[in-house]
Amino acid sequence: MNTSGLVLPSLQKEISQRKIDAYSVVRPKSIHTDPDWARQKGFRAPLAQAMMSTAYVSELMTRFLGAGFVRGGTLSMIFIKPVYAGDRLTVRGAVKDKRREDGVTRVSVDVWCENQHGEKTAVGTATGLEPPGVEEK
Amino acid sequence: MIEFKPLTYEALKVGEEFVSDEHLVTPEDVETYAFAVDDHHPWFFGDSPFGGPIAHPTLLGNQALRLRHGRYIVHAGLHAKMEFEFLEPIRQGVRARSRGTVVDKYERRGKPYMVTEFVTEDENGTVLVRGRFTQMLFRG
Repeated sequence: MNTSGLVLPSLQKEISQRKIDAYSVVRPKSIHTDPDWARQKGFRAPLAQAMMSTAYVSELMTRFLGAGFVRGGTLSMIFIKPVYAGDRLTVRGAVKDKRREDGVTRVSVDVWCENQHGEKTAVGTATGLEPPGVEEK
Repeated sequence: MIEFKPLTYEALKVGEEFVSDEHLVTPEDVETYAFAVDDHHPWFFGDSPFGGPIAHPTLLGNQALRLRHGRYIVHAGLHAKMEFEFLEPIRQGVRARSRGTVVDKYERRGKPYMVTEFVTEDENGTVLVRGRFTQMLFRG
């Protein structure tokens, strides 16, 4: 599988308050689920938990590498901009490189999330193991 | 008995260790998570290459992220960085527990941060996930 430079199919995520509530558990004094508290802390609306973006990238990578991400994958992300209830994210990835590691091939992917304004909200790198039997062509 | 105190930069100690309660990973947890992140992969609801249904690899991230809540009152914080290593699939029906250690705290541009390393294990001591995260603390 010659995947170097490959752009992964992107994912679209609508960030509703209901989904944030399900992710973070509704409680008072939470910047994720209490709009008044979020405003007190300087945010215009409740924020999605940054961890939700790691879940989106995990989905992107599981679609790409399957079991080789679920067992043996890694993910490193920096959260650079808040994601608010009502935002729409696009989750993207592009293969950076591949290297042999203990008899298997590890694939590294640049990953990032963008909001509906085209602004990056999170950036990072994810890796996973190429499926067995796949040979470099 | 735990005596909870407000989380402040000053109160937090590098080297401080946390442990979560044990959590049984249920199909309902996975269904709720699937709704929250809109990821309904068939491996979460039926058979998988690992033998039976598994959970999203990031499902237990909040168990780790909330470790400090087991000792401190935390009213707000921002997540700055997250690193995961997914070592084994999270099978539905396992009882998982996370342990963490504060490995650093620092101030940057007047804002306080804490860095925690964690492992999440099943009831047999198998490490499922490990990683490291950085959180910004709110003052006041």
